[in-house]
Amino acid sequence: MINVSELTRRFGATTALASVSLSMPRGAVYGLVGANGAGKTTLIKHVLGLLRAESGSVRVFGLDPVADPVGVLSRIGYLSEEHDLPGWMRLDELIRYSRAFYPAWDDAYAEELRRAFALDPTAKIKNLSKGENARAGLLIALAYRPELLVLDEPSSGLDPIVRRDILGAIIRTIADEGRTVLFSSHLLGEVEQVADHVTMIHQGTIALSAPLDAIKESHRCLTVRFAESRREPPAVAGVLRWDGGGQEWTAVHRGGSGELQAAVAGWGARIVAERLPSLDEIFVAHVGMAAASAPDA
Amino acid sequence: MRSPRSPALAIAWEFRQRHRWGLIAVAGYLLVVATIRFLILEPGEPVLVDSLRFAAVVSVPLTTTFVYLLTVFSFGFAGDLAARQSIYPPRMFTLPVTTAALAGWPMLYGTAATAILWLAARLFAVWPSGTEIPVIWPALLAATLLAWTQALTWMPYGLPGLRVIVAVLCLAALDTVVLLAIHYKATERLMVAILAPQIPLAYLAARFAVARARRGDVPDWRGMFARLGQIAEDLPRRRDRFPSPARAQLWFEWRRHGRSLPALVGILLPFELALLWLAKDAPAFVFEILFLAFITPPFMAAFTAWTVSQPNPQVRDSWGVPPFIATRPLTSAELIAAKLKMAMWSTLAAWLLVLVAMPLALEWSGTWSVVTERARRMNDAIGTPRAATVVLLILAGFIVATWKQLVQSLHIGLTGREWIVKGSVLLTLTFLILLGPIVEWIIDTPSVQRALWNALPLILAGLVGLKMSAAARIATRLDRSRLLGDCALVAGAACWVLAVLALYGVLVWFFSTPFVARYVLALIAILVVPLARISAAPLALAWNRHR
Repeated sequence: MINVSELTRRFGATTALASVSLSMPRGAVYGLVGANGAGKTTLIKHVLGLLRAESGSVRVFGLDPVADPVGVLSRIGYLSEEHDLPGWMRLDELIRYSRAFYPAWDDAYAEELRRAFALDPTAKIKNLSKGENARAGLLIALAYRPELLVLDEPSSGLDPIVRRDILGAIIRTIADEGRTVLFSSHLLGEVEQVADHVTMIHQGTIALSAPLDAIKESHRCLTVRFAESRREPPAVAGVLRWDGGGQEWTAVHRGGSGELQAAVAGWGARIVAERLPSLDEIFVAHVGMAAASAPDA
Repeated sequence: MRSPRSPALAIAWEFRQRHRWGLIAVAGYLLVVATIRFLILEPGEPVLVDSLRFAAVVSVPLTTTFVYLLTVFSFGFAGDLAARQSIYPPRMFTLPVTTAALAGWPMLYGTAATAILWLAARLFAVWPSGTEIPVIWPALLAATLLAWTQALTWMPYGLPGLRVIVAVLCLAALDTVVLLAIHYKATERLMVAILAPQIPLAYLAARFAVARARRGDVPDWRGMFARLGQIAEDLPRRRDRFPSPARAQLWFEWRRHGRSLPALVGILLPFELALLWLAKDAPAFVFEILFLAFITPPFMAAFTAWTVSQPNPQVRDSWGVPPFIATRPLTSAELIAAKLKMAMWSTLAAWLLVLVAMPLALEWSGTWSVVTERARRMNDAIGTPRAATVVLLILAGFIVATWKQLVQSLHIGLTGREWIVKGSVLLTLTFLILLGPIVEWIIDTPSVQRALWNALPLILAGLVGLKMSAAARIATRLDRSRLLGDCALVAGAACWVLAVLALYGVLVWFFSTPFVARYVLALIAILVVPLARISAAPLALAWNRHR
């Protein structure tokens, strides 16, 4: 469905995307996570054709979104993080205007969504709250049952009820067989709830891209108790991040934990807890500050 | 870089940093006029400057600079003049600074800048010999106008658009007082006495305005018009489907931009045509008023075009295409087509107003006979077909000029590149400033006129060559980028050729004289019918939409 190959994008001296390659087959939910300025929105804008690939290529449904905007955009539902619906329109005008572009527009479904989102059809967009504005955007992105739903930071700045609506929309889209969702978010708990596949972007490169289950299975969170208090944790291959202090330190480790267990035994320490880390912990371990480590004495 | 250590310096730094290029341009202009005055002209040499040259070198740049400073120091570049809320930047309300300082420092900098502008122009510019140019009161007038503009634009209002009306009325009243004083040859001392107290009064008003805006005290009088709003609500709204995406986009463009021109013309026209009641005994004045009414649509279209060519005039970053529009499943050419059609309907609506209002005003004011008498004389002189053709050609010329004004800058504004837009404005201003002296020079020099007349076919051929090579290059780009299909390109070219042939036919029929060669008429027809700039608009939008 989406094929990004060796995509590089620079804005002046800043490299927003550096040789990014990505392939998203049909029928799954892709969570795009990364810190502010990591390149998530830049990647989404390339998928929509709002940015032209400087080098590399982007194909959506096998088409170039810049060369064939009609072919691509008529099959995509998009909710912008900017919530930039025209303020002068009333909701019913927005619906009337939007449905002209999509032959598959489903009036009954649009009305169902409008009622579910409790939106007043006569209300002007500029008078809607931020949450209502997001719901209105979601309504026009969903009402034609697009093959690909793209949500750019859909939950940003919204209350839990609107966030629940957005998650519900994603789940509804998944329920429609063969449809795909690409969404970027800071709220990793939400990504964890609905994503099948997670791609972490860090400083314009892909730090990690794999099915969510595989990511969680390949990481461990271990709490280590040392015999003596330490000012800095030891450096061990595979440990992405250490947190803690004194005698007790917690490591987020990637790969098999055998090497870490052997090292722990060598230090005279012991592992007091071991669990699967949350996506949030994995994200911070990959793209947060580098693990503070020191050569083991 | 050292950071400013006081709020006053910080506010000054922001003005300087944000508008440094404009302020450098102002300094550059003053340097140029000073060079002319002190290095080119001999000391004591009498300066005989005609009005056109004086306007080009002093009046127009000085007025433009003053308006620029007015906008800068009122925060007009960032604010929404039509909004009820103050245009004073809300981010500054949270600074740990007193309201008096928030109002006072920008006012002090603004009034000082405008006063210095006048004093520098008075000192450095070339003023006609034998004219007494005052020093103090024009500086005070500039400062006063700025101070009141600040106070009136920073004030929150109860209704959208009220700010513009109040500001225009108050500033016009102030101007009227000054003009009356000049008319009755008031002394400089009297002028200073009238103007000097205005600045502290404006400061008090500005402080009150900023205080209200700072505590979020925005009056809301819209309830008074709730009944009107209810009537609008009750009017049936169209709910049927648009037959095509192109029609939906045309509706969008019409709602966003299309009504501005007819509305502006509708506001101005009654005031212009009301003058007909004063012109019953002055036939020449009747035609001046009619001319004024005729140039209103193309003149106002030049202002409206500014918003039409902006992809998103509602937001601060108005240059980039908003995602909502950029993600419409339409080609860039289709988005442009909707703008062109909207411009056509907007033009027709504006002209419908003129063509309905003008005969009614002529009839009711009793000046209809003046027009019919002139028409009869014209009929007798050149015959009915030619007279009718002249009238229709003039009317068609005005209508096409209005539409052209609306669409001819699309290829600039839609690029979304601020440097292109500002560069083109600078080039246009430079051209307009240079145009006056060049025209004056041509009028004053018969040898130049002869040379130009002899070289006219060559000049026209050169311009046609430029236009056609630009059009060919644009057509190639359109074809390569697949923004327009082959059929659309061929159909567009065929329409353009037909329009040129039609215009050429009319010109040949009308100018059946041996003094003008037919190929000259053909070259004129090619130059007049728009081609290159309009064809470039889809390329500009695509460049902006797919950055």
